[in-house]
Amino acid sequence: MHHDNGIWVSTEDLMRDESFLQAAEKEFSVENLDQTDGKWETNRRDFLKLLGFGLGAATVAASCEIPVKKAIPYVSKPDEIVPGVANYFASSFVNGGDYCAVLVKTREGRPIKIEGNTLSSVTKGGTSARAQASVLSLYDTRRIQHPGAVKEGNVNKMEWNALDREVKSKLSAGGNIRLITQTIISPTAKKALAEFTTKYPTARVVTYDPVSSAALLAANEQSFGARVIPNFKFGEADVIVSFGADFLGTWISPVEYAREYAKNRKIRGAKGAKMSRHYQVESHMSLTGSNADNRILIKPSETGAAIVALYNELTGNSGGPKLSNEKSAAAIKKMAQDLANHKGKSLVVSGSNNVMEQLYVNEINRMLGNLNTTIDFNAVSYQRQGDEREMMRLIDEMNAGQVSVAIVWGANPAWDLPNAAKFKEAFAKVGTRISFNGIIDETTAECTHSAPAHHILESWGDAEPKAGHLSLIQPTIAPLFKTRQAEHTLLEWADSPNLNRQDEQPYYQYLKSHWTSDLFSRQTKYSTAAAFWDMSLHDGVLEFPATEVGAVMNEVSLNPDAVTKPSGSELEISFYETVNIGGGQYAHNPWLQEMPDPVTRTVWGNYLSIPVEWDGVNEINGWKGLNDGDNVEVEINGQKLACTVVRTFGQPAGTVAIALGGGRESGGCGVGYGVYVNPVLPVEGGLIQYFAGNVKVSDKVGADKHFPSVQFHHTMGVQAMGKDEGKVINVDEKTLGWKGFQGALTDRSIIFHTHVNELPKFAEKMEAFHEEAEHLNVQTLYPDRTDFFGTGVKWGMYVDMNACVGCGACQVACVSENNVPVVGKKEVHRHHEMTWLRIDRYFYGDFENPKVVYQPMMCQHCDNAPCENVCPVNATNHSMEGINQMAYNRCIGTRYCANNCPYKVRRFNWLDYTTADVWPANEEKVFRLEGDDKPFLADNLVRMVLNPDVTVRTRGVIEKCTFCIQRIQEGKLTAKREGRAIMDNDVRTACQTACPTGAIVFGNLNNPDSEVSKLTKANAPIAYKVLEEINVRPGVSYSAKVNNSNEELYS
Amino acid sequence: MSQPVAPVRHVLIEGNKSYHQITEDLCSPTEKAPSREWIVVFALATAFVGLYVFAIVWTVWKGIGTWNLNRTINWGWDITNFVWWIGIGHAGTLISAILLLFRQRWRTGVNRAAEAMTIFAVICAGQFPIFHMGRVWMAMFTIPFPNTRGPLWTNFNSPLLWDIFAISTYFSVSVLFWYTGLVPDLATIRDRASGFRRKMYDLFSFGWTGSAKHWQRHESLSLVLAGLSTPLVLSVHTIVSFDFATSVIPGWHTTIFPPYFVAGAVFSGFAMVQTLMVITRKVLNLKEYITINHIESMNKVIVLTGTIVGVAYLTELFVAWYSGYIYEQFAFYNRVFGPYWWSYFGMMFCNVVSPQLFWSRSIRRSVWWTFFMSILINIGMWFERFVIIPTTLARDFLPSSWSLYSPTWVEISMFLGTIGVFFFCYLVFTRVAPVVAVAEVKAILKVAGDQYIGPKAKKAHGHAHSEPATKKAEEEG
Repeated sequence: MHHDNGIWVSTEDLMRDESFLQAAEKEFSVENLDQTDGKWETNRRDFLKLLGFGLGAATVAASCEIPVKKAIPYVSKPDEIVPGVANYFASSFVNGGDYCAVLVKTREGRPIKIEGNTLSSVTKGGTSARAQASVLSLYDTRRIQHPGAVKEGNVNKMEWNALDREVKSKLSAGGNIRLITQTIISPTAKKALAEFTTKYPTARVVTYDPVSSAALLAANEQSFGARVIPNFKFGEADVIVSFGADFLGTWISPVEYAREYAKNRKIRGAKGAKMSRHYQVESHMSLTGSNADNRILIKPSETGAAIVALYNELTGNSGGPKLSNEKSAAAIKKMAQDLANHKGKSLVVSGSNNVMEQLYVNEINRMLGNLNTTIDFNAVSYQRQGDEREMMRLIDEMNAGQVSVAIVWGANPAWDLPNAAKFKEAFAKVGTRISFNGIIDETTAECTHSAPAHHILESWGDAEPKAGHLSLIQPTIAPLFKTRQAEHTLLEWADSPNLNRQDEQPYYQYLKSHWTSDLFSRQTKYSTAAAFWDMSLHDGVLEFPATEVGAVMNEVSLNPDAVTKPSGSELEISFYETVNIGGGQYAHNPWLQEMPDPVTRTVWGNYLSIPVEWDGVNEINGWKGLNDGDNVEVEINGQKLACTVVRTFGQPAGTVAIALGGGRESGGCGVGYGVYVNPVLPVEGGLIQYFAGNVKVSDKVGADKHFPSVQFHHTMGVQAMGKDEGKVINVDEKTLGWKGFQGALTDRSIIFHTHVNELPKFAEKMEAFHEEAEHLNVQTLYPDRTDFFGTGVKWGMYVDMNACVGCGACQVACVSENNVPVVGKKEVHRHHEMTWLRIDRYFYGDFENPKVVYQPMMCQHCDNAPCENVCPVNATNHSMEGINQMAYNRCIGTRYCANNCPYKVRRFNWLDYTTADVWPANEEKVFRLEGDDKPFLADNLVRMVLNPDVTVRTRGVIEKCTFCIQRIQEGKLTAKREGRAIMDNDVRTACQTACPTGAIVFGNLNNPDSEVSKLTKANAPIAYKVLEEINVRPGVSYSAKVNNSNEELYS
Repeated sequence: MSQPVAPVRHVLIEGNKSYHQITEDLCSPTEKAPSREWIVVFALATAFVGLYVFAIVWTVWKGIGTWNLNRTINWGWDITNFVWWIGIGHAGTLISAILLLFRQRWRTGVNRAAEAMTIFAVICAGQFPIFHMGRVWMAMFTIPFPNTRGPLWTNFNSPLLWDIFAISTYFSVSVLFWYTGLVPDLATIRDRASGFRRKMYDLFSFGWTGSAKHWQRHESLSLVLAGLSTPLVLSVHTIVSFDFATSVIPGWHTTIFPPYFVAGAVFSGFAMVQTLMVITRKVLNLKEYITINHIESMNKVIVLTGTIVGVAYLTELFVAWYSGYIYEQFAFYNRVFGPYWWSYFGMMFCNVVSPQLFWSRSIRRSVWWTFFMSILINIGMWFERFVIIPTTLARDFLPSSWSLYSPTWVEISMFLGTIGVFFFCYLVFTRVAPVVAVAEVKAILKVAGDQYIGPKAKKAHGHAHSEPATKKAEEEG
């Protein structure tokens, strides 16, 4: 062992000890191995045996049975599917008249996300919250899974051919057949319907919309000779007046209108900035009204009076009903002046459902020279076609026993008609009642047969929302259940010779033949039908050049007495559609239910908005002393509703308002949330009116224990006349503080707003603010990290608060993209909502008639992030690209980061929301659908919606916006694969792509050519960072909110 | 421990005690069957320990969602209780270490119980940072030891990590100090015991014989530990205050916190010592060892620290106004007049106004007043932490995220449960060890016993020197 090189391992080695040398020779000695010296009863081998046996026995005894989860690879992999790589299919989201051209993102054959289709000139890549959420309704556990006979609210399974036989025998037995539908914008579906009605001449289609635009259509028919909705060009108008039309949220085609509208609202630089002026004449704070420059508050029954007042002012006429509010009457006069100054560059719309009022609006537009400028007929909209008067007639027919077969397709008259009870009664007299609806909604429950149609994401189809603008719908997943395309069912029952029943997808062939025969010949771009079809399917949209159709206005006699007469009652109520759950059609979608209403900031139900009052001194109170979450009884024309109130700024005195769509009675998650208000809707001349006079509201009769509001404080600088001061003072300061604390709320460096005319002065002020903030920020002991982030990629975001209309599409998109769990009403009540992106809403300006600013708020990805240095385990840290990262596996849940976040965007998994824990015992408080025995997200069907690129977080960890890190990674890989630098289009966050107005821009701040750098630069100094002075160095910039209000309106 | 003593010293041991009598008085509670009161209180404390265990299991099993914290207020009763208990845990070390340095002889009457209280309070405090974690089973991530979890290491920038070191160090030093002092006393009990008890006390007294070498080593170790503890008294609460002071949240981000927290901690620690001593001296009949003079001395510390805390409160308000920074101004405005105004006024009344009564000598020397005030101060100091934590978080920068908070039964149970744990430990302690340090009291008998310096004192003993340590063992027995 001893080597001559002088290396030794022990003193024995060095001394050449005899015993050591001996031992060293026997390198593999077996001595001592089996030695027992008498003290130990077990030797090493026995010990090992016992150890082995013990371990084995313990293992067997514990019998850890872990469920086997099988992942089966493709036997023969479809060409287009690469595991881990998403496929996008162009399609359309259509629900009645709601339309959006979309791309459906699928992973391994599952649709998981909706994106906008930028090729569409209607929606231009924008989406709505409803379209975003449609992917969740595909995986609704309440969907009807097979055709069958309906008994006591259940569908007893039948085979399709048995059902077909039975139905066909009823159809051919003679007697009247009625199809009840919502607006159908699909030309091919209409063709199928035509085949059906040809086969059965007694069949007639009755169409109505859940929220009616019948008067608008009727008026247009009289004025323009066509029962359509003209092409409103909000982007071309300098002055926009809306009489209660919520065109940014719910009216006709909000995605299209919002994009157009925002075009004229964005500010590029402080110098010479221009924007349109928007007046909203309304009686509750609607989403559109909240974006308006000026709101003129009226009572709901005075919409007609307001329209006539405008008409009279423009024409010099008099007569007609008068407005009760003199301030508003005077304001309308000034508004008329503004309109008259912008002839041909203005636009007046109305959401009223009174034909004469709409005729007046058409006449006003004609007088203002808006026809063929801001309103044209080159691409009319087909997005509303219904007329509830036909439903009223149908009820009479059914009552008279004249209908033998009724088929319901997409509509839900047993719930959404004001006279739903009467409908149900009459409907029961129809012998055969068939529903195509996908869930057992209120109408399907009244039917005899259910022939469930596919979900839109399983369907073939097409849509023509506007004349000449077609788009295709293609399935992105094989039907999950034994459902069948509605059009297929109709053609089947019509024994159509054009339906090839042998084909695997007969309706696909039918659709394709319609396109390749009828539409192919109308275009010139493609020479072969196959290429035409392939490219149309690829693009998803097909647009024909607009044909110039000059609008001709018919002579229509206007009668000021035919508009709605003001009710004169002390208290009136208005009913409105919400941007998320619509008129109730979307109530069964948990994502939409949990999306806060943009204005009231409440979720899971509809709440009665009541005015807010200030005593002139120290207290802001709800009307009648009511508080958020108090229950009241509302009596409307003798009918009673039990409502929960929410105090809403901007709700005019003498009015209350409540959304439609609450209190669903059957079919899914919307059951049990909110109030069912439809039965109290008045019907005037067959048209449903969305307001009522003669309203009484009781005092408090109780309280909603789980009133779910995500925002407790609403104002940032509202002003009114102070009682003691005798002048206009800041109400926030007065009620929250006292003199000396002035500015504590209004001067917060969170929201900056100004008037467009004062932009240059404001820019100077902002310049000073930036300087001051920078001065404060450099007073630090720590080295500046700007250099570090100045190289390579630095991700950042720009949010244009002038373009943001608050529609919430981004919020639902974020939920969808990032597997954000649904927590339910009670958890939201406890402020446990998990949304990574929220839209803060603040009121400012006049206390009674405030303005609104929406601020999308997500993780600001601070370069000096306060959350990062306080985490004891480094679970949140900074990437070299300026992203504040979360390592969920590392997080131990001290929540210190969430406390130290100035923006409060961090979300903690309080309970096992995603059911990721192994034991189900802790799921008791986790959100579940009514009647389900397991939590919402524990269902394997619902879990199909999860994005496999995003970790599902467990209980006890913090999560937050990641700037869609999975998309960044994907974009980087793409750029790398293509061997180039990363570009703007490689990475677009989910909120960015969802936004209909382009308010959110994301990109590399270090690239001077990226849109985000350009915008931040162009908009300096009015672009700012929230809380700029606290030296956290956020990565998100906001533009100051600029309005263009008519300052003289109320002077 | 023999120093020259000025004759103006107060009598600290009354009742003309002999060394043997001291042994009898202080060791007998561990030898007698427990009194009925003890059994009742112990049963009650045990029930609360059960409640505590239940609340913990419930929290870990179901999730922090069983508490009412929310996206805005992520710390509530949990951290409030943590800071409260840690504050209480300051008196023991202060009495043992700092008062030792200041040569305050009166500390010998109360230091044993105060140190025990410190240890139990720190045990209670430690529960909250552990169980407020969302994933407590991953708590070992906070310990920097070589591991196979890749390059992730603890974050030494985080005050929470400092807390872990500060508190665990404080706890271990406190336990060592306390136990070192206990060893001779345990040996005394051993010498009086027989059978199994004798065996156990033999084991726990490490074979103490009272030899000169033992005493010498004991004294040296005590001195070393006292030296170690002294900076800890100041550091622990300083570091706890960093949890808030290093943050960016207005109302937390203030440099005044370290001294303010330490003063508050001493304040609340003494209040808790008073609460316990007033009961203990009555129940265990130790009025001659824990005299009115002791109570008065501690009340003096209370009025001093209470006033320091009051100055800190006012300084905060002044600085908020003087800063000219609206968020800071609003944070303090909100503390005083916001939705939790009652907790601020509760704090002000209990911590600043009420201790001023102790300027009156008669109140200072009244047992009942002392007890009542000590409870008030305990409540007030809890309010202080509540004001600092949830009230500040409730309304920070962005008004959109403002929220409100009230605890659930789980959070309340956990708090009540730790009070149960505290009393459980303390009651067991009174049964197994002398609540007054026997050896230390004996050491000052000749300089503070009434028969030596009181009115009954023999003149010859006016300038008495204490007995050599070795003699003490002989007189015991």
